[in-house]
Amino acid sequence: MSADRDMTRIVRSWLRTDEHESADRVLDHVLAQLNATPQRRSWWPARRITDMNNVVKLAIAAAAVVVVAIVGVNLLPAGGGVGGSGPAVSPSPSPSPSPSPSPSPTAAAFPPAGKLAAGARHSMIREGIPFSFSVPTSGWISNGDWGIDKSAGVGPDGAGFIFWGDTPVGVFADPCANSTSPPVGPSAADLAAAVASVPGTDLVSGPSDVTVGGYPAKQVVLTVREDVKCNASSFYLWYAPTPDLARYATELGSTIRVWIVDVNGTPVWIDGETYKGAGPEPGQEIQQIIDSIQFE
Amino acid sequence: MDTDLVVRAQRGDKGAYAIVATEIADRYLAVARRILRDIDLAEDATQQALLAIWQDLPQLRDPALFDAWSYRLLVRACYAEGRKERRWAPNLRLLPVDEPIAKDGLSSVIDRDQLEGGFRRLSIDHRAVVVLHHYLDLPLDRVATILGIPVGTAHSRLHHAMRGLRAALDADARPPVREVAR
Repeated sequence: MSADRDMTRIVRSWLRTDEHESADRVLDHVLAQLNATPQRRSWWPARRITDMNNVVKLAIAAAAVVVVAIVGVNLLPAGGGVGGSGPAVSPSPSPSPSPSPSPSPTAAAFPPAGKLAAGARHSMIREGIPFSFSVPTSGWISNGDWGIDKSAGVGPDGAGFIFWGDTPVGVFADPCANSTSPPVGPSAADLAAAVASVPGTDLVSGPSDVTVGGYPAKQVVLTVREDVKCNASSFYLWYAPTPDLARYATELGSTIRVWIVDVNGTPVWIDGETYKGAGPEPGQEIQQIIDSIQFE
Repeated sequence: MDTDLVVRAQRGDKGAYAIVATEIADRYLAVARRILRDIDLAEDATQQALLAIWQDLPQLRDPALFDAWSYRLLVRACYAEGRKERRWAPNLRLLPVDEPIAKDGLSSVIDRDQLEGGFRRLSIDHRAVVVLHHYLDLPLDRVATILGIPVGTAHSRLHHAMRGLRAALDADARPPVREVAR
């Protein structure tokens, strides 16, 4: 009973720790929409379907089918058919966008938050180095800051990337206890060797010599063990000093691929993650994105 | 809530509803945020709820029941927004690695993190009971009325939720943090 009271106290305290929320912005939206939002009044005669006789019910059902058919026909894309698998017809008469073969001349710090168009070039700047990439399929979403992930989320079909704005300088000596090892590097080889030795992970491959965007890189692939003594969000892998950011596992059992690209002496760090039970496709898409990278 | 204001708003008085909405908005956002654990989703849910309240007010038979009725619309909006909840994704976390941390302070940080994880694993049904009861201090019979469930179900959901949160704290118990070197 005492433990129950303690738990209640902890939960009540936790629920009250957040800062005061101001709903001013929400209120502005709501009040602005009132004029365009009619109230729903019960002007129709209340009637239950069981009050109707079968003829009336049949008539209503038939009318509903007609309405659905009319609406359905009107919603079909021009030239399309039921079950058609062609691309949606754009309502705009403007020419369809075609992927640009070269990076944008004015690279943004990161692709804006939202869906990434498949095949198009998406620009970013990491460690002061502009580069671009493309995604092979739709469903990749940018968080607008440092990550992109596949819309399938965590699961066999999901995948995600972190493009580090500031390259990590070290790994965790005890990932479950938030204990860092001293910084290593600055060479890509030193960093890759540290990644390959993170406790609580199984090394799948590497460090291997590869090229990314024409520059030499080190690649390491590891899986997060499922028998570690903490949950995934408490399992820290590597850290960057400015600010003190740390990468933690999204899921125990996930596979993380790290590329540390040496761009004229500046290491650029990219890591991608696939999840338990993943088939070959998510990993292939990650590799396709890496292969699409072009440095400016 | 001032019943006269509610009645005026029921009759389509937008000024009266503006006063009602202003009075409840902060509180409803706070509740939505605690249920959804995401400020963007909570803002959307609050906005949807405030508009739904305005739209459906004429159908509220007893204006004295405005609070319970409107909370039900808020929780319903939370259900809708909860279905859009953000997917997990590879993530980064800001670490206070260079700051000395008192043991009690660290412990509470870990508790909050674990509670957050445990709470997110609960369904919206269970979260709503916890928030209405432990945040708004509403008795469980009132919580049951708001959610449209039997009192026994509200008790059961609260019990289940608290057991889940306790399990989250117990399962995630870890050794104390230790800096190896910096």
